[in-house]
Amino acid sequence: MRILVVEDDVDLNRQLVTSLTDAGYVVDKAMDGEEGHYLGESSPYDAVILDLGLPVLDGVSVLEKWRRAGRKMPVLILTARDRWSDKVAGFDAGADDYVTKPFHTEEVLARVRALVRRSAGQASSELTCGPVTLDTKGAKVMVDGTAIKLTSLEYRLLEYLMMHGGKVVSRTELVEHLYDQDFDRDSNTVEVFVGRLRKKLGVDVLHTIRGMGYCVQPPGNAD
Amino acid sequence: MRTNSLAFRLTVSAAATAVVLLAAAAIILTELFQQTVQRNFEARLRAIMDGLQSNIELTVDGSPAVQGNFADTRFQLQDSGWYWQVAPIVPGSKPAASASLLEPPLTLPANAVAHRDGEGIARFSMTDAAGNDLRGFEQRLKIFGSDADYSFVVTGNFDELRSEVQAFRRVLYLSLGLLGLGLLGAIFFQVRYGLLPMKLMERKLNDIRAGKVEMLEGDFPAEMQPVADELNLLVQSNFEVIDRARMQVGNLAHALKTPISVLTNEARDHKGALADKLTEQIGVMREQVNLYLDRARRAARAQTVGSSTDVEPVLQALARTLQTINRDRGLQVSVEPMPALKFRGERQDLEEMVGNLMDNACKWSKTKVVTRARLLAQLGEDGRPWMVIEVDDDGPGLPPEQRATAMKRGQRLDESKPGSGLGLNIVTETAAMYGGRAELAQATIGGLRAVLRLPAYPIASTSGT
Repeated sequence: MRILVVEDDVDLNRQLVTSLTDAGYVVDKAMDGEEGHYLGESSPYDAVILDLGLPVLDGVSVLEKWRRAGRKMPVLILTARDRWSDKVAGFDAGADDYVTKPFHTEEVLARVRALVRRSAGQASSELTCGPVTLDTKGAKVMVDGTAIKLTSLEYRLLEYLMMHGGKVVSRTELVEHLYDQDFDRDSNTVEVFVGRLRKKLGVDVLHTIRGMGYCVQPPGNAD
Repeated sequence: MRTNSLAFRLTVSAAATAVVLLAAAAIILTELFQQTVQRNFEARLRAIMDGLQSNIELTVDGSPAVQGNFADTRFQLQDSGWYWQVAPIVPGSKPAASASLLEPPLTLPANAVAHRDGEGIARFSMTDAAGNDLRGFEQRLKIFGSDADYSFVVTGNFDELRSEVQAFRRVLYLSLGLLGLGLLGAIFFQVRYGLLPMKLMERKLNDIRAGKVEMLEGDFPAEMQPVADELNLLVQSNFEVIDRARMQVGNLAHALKTPISVLTNEARDHKGALADKLTEQIGVMREQVNLYLDRARRAARAQTVGSSTDVEPVLQALARTLQTINRDRGLQVSVEPMPALKFRGERQDLEEMVGNLMDNACKWSKTKVVTRARLLAQLGEDGRPWMVIEVDDDGPGLPPEQRATAMKRGQRLDESKPGSGLGLNIVTETAAMYGGRAELAQATIGGLRAVLRLPAYPIASTSGT
């Protein structure tokens, strides 16, 4: 899951990035509206955390520009103003949720999780595919009721594929959503991780669709 | 009237001028009258003298005698002070005298005839036997048929003239006094009337301070209009300064929220006494920020005059927003079709009131929240139109005895739902500021109904529906 944090306060930005990274997200950050707008328009994100009071270009304008350009990723706005007019302006510009400052990062994390899930069309925080269960809240994976230990990258890979359960996800898309910007895209790390993940899960849910990418499906359903 | 006032200065200076002018008028008029009366007096004496000279003749024994009646009755009245007498200079023959003179001859004072004018007339004054103050003429002439000179004397009673002047002076002083009083009254009225625009201005400035109006309006006299204009500019710039200061307080408070977030999160990630202290102090800061934001909001409301807000767009925007916020629960947040309505107040206040009510309804409702607004058929106590906004939910509702408690500050009947618990209290307070009120009732769709009664603007009905 790739998240963009647009917040001009250095410390708050760092705290958000740290919490999100700890929670297993790939995080990009921007310190002003213009940089944030550029990143949001040029890379695919699973969610954006956008402060409304930004230098250079304010948050509402950034959001409006994204929506006009057809960018549909879920956006969580952070605002110090808690009047209804501010909320109305934010939602009318295309926000999906808001958090009022001051806040705990846990609250932001919970909202981001909900947003990502919702945008992927998943109602529950627990994703299931045959014997495999993934708990997005606790970042735990169980196979037939037994917990499996995964590295953070393996977990992210599985989460992304299960979030888009049944759909084929290309290698490029995986790279874009799972790795930092400076990742070497020519390497075959993805294949390596998919191989390891298959071994750890021990059940046949992770399929390679030749020439297209990967998808998760309950065992026996694959073509 | 205070001594250090324009009214006092104007009144005193005008009164002093009037008194001086009136006193001068009294002196001049009295003098003029006295001179006129004196001239008349002398002219009369001259006329008598002329009459006497043309009617005198010598009798056979050589004594002078008057033929016919040439003088008025005062010369018959004894001791009247009005006398005439013709006597020979060299004593010998009997002098002729008026009947009023009891004991002729009248003896003139020693130096009475020392000075004579060009016609040979000597003027003198004396006191007669009866104590009358006399003024008289004496002229020496020969009578036709005689070689000897005779002394012709005519006197008049000067006391009569004096009392005439006295009477005139009394009437004059009385009328000038009355005139003075009239002038004082007029001055008083003029000052009051002239300074009336000042009072008006004072009242209007008071209204500005009380927040009833924003400007010094109305026609002021030409001399005061520049002052009024300047005051308006001053008031305007004062408002701007206050607005700026208020905005800066707001900005500061809002700006503090970010560092508070940072500190909150830092403190949570650490253990120990310092982290605890930090958490405690952050709590204090948070309360202070909210307190001052609340104050700035209240102060901003106190001076809003004459604004109006279209109701429907506000309700629609809030419904749209709340529908989005609650989309995971599949809530239907809708606004019933309504007539064009205007709220007599600030848009932000309407948003806060209805927003909090709708938000509260969303928290409790199961499937839907319905909002409607209508104009009340009856005018309010202020003779102006009022409207009602109702927010219904299909949640569990509240028993009647708990509804009043729910509107009080910080009151939360169920701690399980998120929210500071201040929402409904803000609604009650804001509504009260507009003279309206907020109440809870039973909704027809099952849950709670929040009823907001607010001042409206009359709508120019075009469709007639």
